[in-house]
Amino acid sequence: MPAVRASAGLLRRAQSLAALLGILLLAIAISPTASDGSRIFLEAGNLTDILRQVSLIGIISLAMTLVILTGGIDLSVGSILALSTALAAMFLTRGYTTHIAVAILAAVAAAALAGALNGVVIARTGIQPFIVTLASMIGVRGLAKWLTNNQNIDIGFGKDLAAGFAAIFREKAIVIGAYAGAAALFWVVLARTVFGRHVRAVGDNEKAAEYAGLPIRATKIWVYTLSGLFTGFAGVLYAAENHQGNPNAGVAYELDAIAAVVIGGTRLSGGKGSISGTIVGTLIMGVLTNMLRLNNVDSNVEMMIKAAIIVLAVAVQRERNGN
Amino acid sequence: MGHNRSLPEHLQAVGITKRYGGVYALKGASFSLRAGEVHALVGENGAGKSTLARILAGSTRADSGAISIHGAPVEIATPLDAQRLGIGIIYQELDLFPDLTAGENIVIGNLHFPEGRLVSFRRMEEFCRPFLRQVGLACGIRQTVATLSIGQMQLLAIARALSMDARILLMDEPTSSLFDDAAERLFGLIAALKQRGVSIVYVSHKMDEIFRICDRATVLRDGETIGTVEMAGTSVNELIRMMVGRELRMTARAARRVAGELVLAVEKLATAKLRDVSFELRRGEVLGIAGLVGSGRSELGAALFGLDRITSGTVRVQGELRAPRSPRDAMASGIGLLPEDRRLEGLMMRMSVLENATLAVLPRLSGLGFIDRRREHASLAPVARQLALNCASPAAPVRSCEEISWQAEAPAPPSVNPAMSAIFSQPVSQLSGGNQQKVLLARWLLLNPTVLFLDDPTRGIDIGAKQDIYRLIDELAAAGKAIILVSSELPELLRCCDRILVLNEGRVTAHFDAAEATQEKIMSAATNAGAGA
Amino acid sequence: MKRQFSEYRNDRPGGLSYILAGALLLAGCGGGTGNPGRKQLVVAFSQANNAEPYRAAQNAFLGKLWARQPDVKLVIADAQQDNSKQVAQVETFIRQKPDLLIVAPNERAALTAVMGQAMEAHIPVICLERDILQPNYTSYVHSDNVAIGRLAGQFMVDHLTKKYGKPKGNIVAMRGLLGVEGEINRDRGAKQVFDKYPEIKIVSDPVADWIQAKAKDRMTEVLRAQPKIDVVYGHNDPMAIGAYLAAKELGREKEMIFVGVDGLGGPAGGIRKVMDGILAATFVYPLCVDKAVEVANRILHEPGFQPEKDYVLESLMVTAENAAQMYEKYTIPGMN
Repeated sequence: MPAVRASAGLLRRAQSLAALLGILLLAIAISPTASDGSRIFLEAGNLTDILRQVSLIGIISLAMTLVILTGGIDLSVGSILALSTALAAMFLTRGYTTHIAVAILAAVAAAALAGALNGVVIARTGIQPFIVTLASMIGVRGLAKWLTNNQNIDIGFGKDLAAGFAAIFREKAIVIGAYAGAAALFWVVLARTVFGRHVRAVGDNEKAAEYAGLPIRATKIWVYTLSGLFTGFAGVLYAAENHQGNPNAGVAYELDAIAAVVIGGTRLSGGKGSISGTIVGTLIMGVLTNMLRLNNVDSNVEMMIKAAIIVLAVAVQRERNGN
Repeated sequence: MGHNRSLPEHLQAVGITKRYGGVYALKGASFSLRAGEVHALVGENGAGKSTLARILAGSTRADSGAISIHGAPVEIATPLDAQRLGIGIIYQELDLFPDLTAGENIVIGNLHFPEGRLVSFRRMEEFCRPFLRQVGLACGIRQTVATLSIGQMQLLAIARALSMDARILLMDEPTSSLFDDAAERLFGLIAALKQRGVSIVYVSHKMDEIFRICDRATVLRDGETIGTVEMAGTSVNELIRMMVGRELRMTARAARRVAGELVLAVEKLATAKLRDVSFELRRGEVLGIAGLVGSGRSELGAALFGLDRITSGTVRVQGELRAPRSPRDAMASGIGLLPEDRRLEGLMMRMSVLENATLAVLPRLSGLGFIDRRREHASLAPVARQLALNCASPAAPVRSCEEISWQAEAPAPPSVNPAMSAIFSQPVSQLSGGNQQKVLLARWLLLNPTVLFLDDPTRGIDIGAKQDIYRLIDELAAAGKAIILVSSELPELLRCCDRILVLNEGRVTAHFDAAEATQEKIMSAATNAGAGA
Repeated sequence: MKRQFSEYRNDRPGGLSYILAGALLLAGCGGGTGNPGRKQLVVAFSQANNAEPYRAAQNAFLGKLWARQPDVKLVIADAQQDNSKQVAQVETFIRQKPDLLIVAPNERAALTAVMGQAMEAHIPVICLERDILQPNYTSYVHSDNVAIGRLAGQFMVDHLTKKYGKPKGNIVAMRGLLGVEGEINRDRGAKQVFDKYPEIKIVSDPVADWIQAKAKDRMTEVLRAQPKIDVVYGHNDPMAIGAYLAAKELGREKEMIFVGVDGLGGPAGGIRKVMDGILAATFVYPLCVDKAVEVANRILHEPGFQPEKDYVLESLMVTAENAAQMYEKYTIPGMN
């Protein structure tokens, strides 16, 4: 049997898992204890809190992984989230429909459309994704504010359609379930489908992908559309959780999503990365935040530590894998 | 830095060891260079030649070993150290800046260029002109390197090394993209340099060149020095035996094939770089394309493959008029292209062997968008065997997929041979050049086009893999494919092709049958009308 | 010979986690243990945004008042105007099971549910100054912003009547975060007064999110659009001050008067600005902290105590006449 080394991807994944385990152990070790002596960090309620708190950014990060794998980036996700929350709340509270499903559909469809627009412009004009999604970040936010007159649309606690929607979709189980479902879906798509292969190939070497006859434009349009679509879905969950449509929501969410993807081992240059890595990256950030908060670390110190983690994670992975 | 003619040794390297992770690229290798000699460094891919050259040039540091120049020990920690010591290197994978101009590439980091505070184009021009003339490169100082062809880039790299007043010149496969007359000029250059007392280390696979211009040769195998011989007292077979450690038989061309139906008819084809190109191609034929660098050989492939716009003329594939406007169009028409640069235009370096090979035919191997992994493995297995895809890492013993599959007693598909599956999941970046090329060929074999255009498929590939590729071309032709082969090596064209088309400045200047073609005739057709490189 | 970075492969897997552990232990040492001491009562306070001066003053007063009681440990979390962050912080507080939770909600809708969760976990909750959509709290300590709005409105009407001989004029209303009770009611109260006088018009009402810098930018835009402005009604003092700065840059500050709300003490507060002639008037918006601490202490120390659902605090007008006295009253040493 020839001496075959484990593929670099496996090595990187094992390493980020090890990092996650390390943080978990640390969190458990320094966790404050409750009056009965149990560790607060380990309480089921706390652990599910963590999962719920990372779910929205988690969903966005999954789609962002695909975008980054093609060598692109999507800076507009925060604004698309705002648009989605606004539309969902509008449809639910202004009587445009009597069905929750229609409101959700409207929000998600608009978000997907925004994503598709990103994709079409990027694929057809060849302008860098950074610039195109930067522009739509600004434009979509403006649209959301214009539609709502820059006001929040409250979803009350009464018995109406909107309140019913919120009661269902803010349930921890639903939110975490949505994240888990999306994670499974993206994992399968990336690892097992033709589309997933194409995504990696386009990011690895676009010229060679052209020479191999791959549908480059279609692939790019799809990844940005998926990014919009799933961000829209996250927006629906956001509206339920916060009981409001908020055109100012989601600011800097794109940075959190990108951070999770990058910590999980995906390269910004494209072609190398995985969904499992992104999930681990998301969890690392979630556990870290929770651990710091349980120990009452100042939230500004929290941000500085996060910054350090991001740089460390990427640096350690770069030198480990050569180039 | 002057040198002393009385000392025989110009440079000596002893006990050089270099590890990458768990793999030894060099294991106690040694090398000595006499003043004013041309010394060949030979070995198969993975033997360590390029690593040794890079250590001498300062871009890599050895883990252990000693280097001395004129008897005095030296440390070569960076390329600037090497430049100061008078060592220059021309890399096989050229290290030029594609977005900068020719002049800028020469003067950047050049200790011999008198740099003032402001950029002076006149000073750059004065400095660079003589060296460009010396190597015979007719491009402007302000021409962007990305617009030059690979051959021209190579000449530029040599000009740069000369401008740094190198006394030791390391050349890694310098003629791999030069056509014969440019190669001739290079040999003349080498002879002139030799006279001036410059010592040259010539890393190459090309036996005829080595025997022609070199004084001695050092053979490396698996990171170790096997021996150093005088060219006068050795033979090709002996060198090969030292390189490979076993006897390797060169395959001879099969008997002339009977050509089948007409599959490709090109009439008065014109693009931006081509004028009035016409030829026919039948099933089972191998058509060679010869010509100088820049004569339009690769451009012909680009036109057929939908990368360049056809401005006039027609292309008929199996009788049907086709005007491919993209590679997808071309593939749908039954035309395939193996590009000149496998790294930039062919392979996904971060994906595995299997993924690269099956990339273009995934729809066929999937259901409802999901890839059927068994079918994927099964489809590649026979192709891999046909190509003798040999995927061991450099330091491991060389074994072919064929040997492994026999030993593992694998039954025929659908069951998957575990040894083979380990090879399939290896990232292509770890393979040698020859094996990488085979992976690309596998992609095309799976696609099964009617016409396959191979653009310089054996560039920078070791002897063993080259023979495999020649054998493959024979087999493909025998199986009824129509093949167009572009090559810079005339012996290769004569070995593989039935007919040879010669291009010059975008036009067809000659059309030979293999039987009547000779190197001189081809050369003359390639250079008539008085045009230089 | 120096080892190259790339040669550190195959060193300890999870090297990353060692680095993390180090960084975190360092941070953890500085941040407080979070372990409630045996006899110590923990009061957790979720503050909406430390960056607003009003809220910073709340924090300062809370700290000062409880500093006198060594058996009470006060922990403050800053949500930096981010709803999701505040919700997560409250959730974490719930896990820690404090003896009392005080919340100054960033926005009504977003915080309602999580405060309900705190109630369900049997933690007494005091809702501070801003309200939420449902009464998910033990007590709500606030001031009457509608009354303040009316007071302010009346002051402005009186000023205009004196200026023109009858109640007419152009008013610019500088608004805070739109989803917040304080904003809604200060606006409503003032409008209750203005609506009686058809010749008093609100010519522009930009939103500056309570922040001085944003108010300055908004005011600059308004100044370019409006040729004649008589009064600027800033719904809090920083915004009124920001508007003043904008007017000063364009040389129009004498054309109008500036009225604010909050009336904080200290050199940066609204009372001082009245003394300096920048604001014509401000209206003390009680920090609500005194009352909150009083109620909290009773909840903590008196087992049978049943607090009221609502505690309303009164406001006072500050003008040039009484500014100096008010300044004395409302400034504590160490305030900025």
